[in-house]
Amino acid sequence: MTIVVTDLTVRYSEKVVLDDISLEIASEKWTCLVGPNGAGKTTFLKVLLGMAPYAGSIQDHGVEVFNNHKRNVAFVPQNPQIPQGMSVAEYVMLGRSKREGWGNESLTSRAYVHRVLQETHLFGMQENLVSHLSGGEMQRALIARALAQEPELILLDEPTSALDLHHQISVLNNIELLKEKGVTIISTMHDITLAAMFAERIVIMKEGKVLLSGSASDVIHSPELKAAFDNRIDVYTLDTGRPVIVASKDSKN
Amino acid sequence: MSTEQGAIAKIWNWRITAFCALILLAVTIAAVSFGPISINFFKVFKTLFDLPGGSTGQDRTVILQLRLPRVILGALVGSALATSGAVYQTVFHNPLADPYLLGAASGAGLGATIALTSTNHNLYGALPIFAFLGGVLAVFTSFIVSGKFFADPNSLLLSGIAVGSFATAIQTYLQQRHSAALRPVYSWILGDLTSASWSVVAWSSIYIAIALVILFSVAKQLDGLMLSDEEAYSLGINPKRLRIIAVAAATLATATAVSASGLIGFVGIVVPHLVRGLTHRVTNRSLITIAMAGAAFLVVADLGARTLLSPAELPIGVITAFVGAPFFLVVLRNRRRVSQ
Repeated sequence: MTIVVTDLTVRYSEKVVLDDISLEIASEKWTCLVGPNGAGKTTFLKVLLGMAPYAGSIQDHGVEVFNNHKRNVAFVPQNPQIPQGMSVAEYVMLGRSKREGWGNESLTSRAYVHRVLQETHLFGMQENLVSHLSGGEMQRALIARALAQEPELILLDEPTSALDLHHQISVLNNIELLKEKGVTIISTMHDITLAAMFAERIVIMKEGKVLLSGSASDVIHSPELKAAFDNRIDVYTLDTGRPVIVASKDSKN
Repeated sequence: MSTEQGAIAKIWNWRITAFCALILLAVTIAAVSFGPISINFFKVFKTLFDLPGGSTGQDRTVILQLRLPRVILGALVGSALATSGAVYQTVFHNPLADPYLLGAASGAGLGATIALTSTNHNLYGALPIFAFLGGVLAVFTSFIVSGKFFADPNSLLLSGIAVGSFATAIQTYLQQRHSAALRPVYSWILGDLTSASWSVVAWSSIYIAIALVILFSVAKQLDGLMLSDEEAYSLGINPKRLRIIAVAAATLATATAVSASGLIGFVGIVVPHLVRGLTHRVTNRSLITIAMAGAAFLVVADLGARTLLSPAELPIGVITAFVGAPFFLVVLRNRRRVSQ
């Protein structure tokens, strides 16, 4: 276990956003936080990053995460600030700052970024402006920057929410590149079917609480899953054995 | 673009910086050479570097006591305004941000007007101090008003606009009450370098040097402020602290420039955009280059101000705005095209 969360509570003024969460997050695995808007998923990512204060404890390899700049954690926000006039090369090179220092342009760094651009199929676009990229390309540029960072842990907030199906798959495949490099992945996702397809562990959240957590297949087939979604979902299994979760139509009585 | 096989090209080419340094040296010598009395370029060069064969007598006095301090002050003010402009544009995620944005200009304007309209004429000499304090106080008030001590750049921007309008209102009121001061206030607002002397150069160079050294030393990290705070934090910087350091240093440079030379507009917008546009790089590695380009720009603008209507002088703000305003429109036009 890399990350051990104990009695985690976060309040914004009087509102309780995360409510007494205790959880263990496995190393080198992809864990996906699933739940409706307002469940506290994004806040959970921010406290895991170490930037937001919290009550309780979050230990990453035995060290408290708050304000701990020694960890190398990449963060991919849902709505990134897109720097005006910045080229893709500059943008991805920013990722090297954590390991090699700000403004570093060593041959090693530039070779690493070259490779990352090829892996994320952005090579040839490095002189394009990030502000001119399409949604899918921008998401790949974000992941390229995270790859360039060579992080131990990456936090992704809704990495696929604004993308069409084709780009969703391409971005999720890019995230798998990180897993192959031994990076621990924690992401939020609306789409529980996609989550079950890619993530190994799923955490179901609602109103600041963790309702269910475990391996993807255990959670998907758990009888409590339907209850967690107010019995408004149906779970089907395809012939290939893959689960599909769809919203059920409201029955009118 | 690849210079080495299997690696992307360097983000910043330091030859551009060296090129800017050469241009700055050339325009400095040119600016000292030209004026109502024309002095041979090579003689100026020899005089400046104290080589044998330099000017003597009156020419030497003109070069060393009149033109050189003015050219150096122009270079200091130009570098201060261009660097602060570039930093503000980064911190506020706004390509049209200007060093006067947080009320520095209006505050300094109010301070200068108080000095100029006071019935006690002894305050005339204290104008730079009043302008400096006015500018710094206005920015400080913007910080306080925005609350949470700069948690959010947008709220600081808005409170800067409010504080600026407030200061301008008082300034206009004072100006109307003391119509005799209208002309000096107006000419100060347009900016000029005519008051340049070695003593002005001496005190302004100290503050501007402190501010620029701070900004150059954090220049590379400033690139992180172009991202969201969470992304910047994940790359190892403390975004809130860095923003305060950057804005404080840029304000020190701006307030010093304003108190030494009045309100010279457009340098802070034109020069950063020129350097970034021509190099296709927004990185703040270019900050030293932007400083030198700003210095060269203002030295040339002041040369125009001194010589175009010689022996009369144009306010330097007229020249910078004459070049700056059309340029500003081009930037806006391109932005619109980009966003379509």
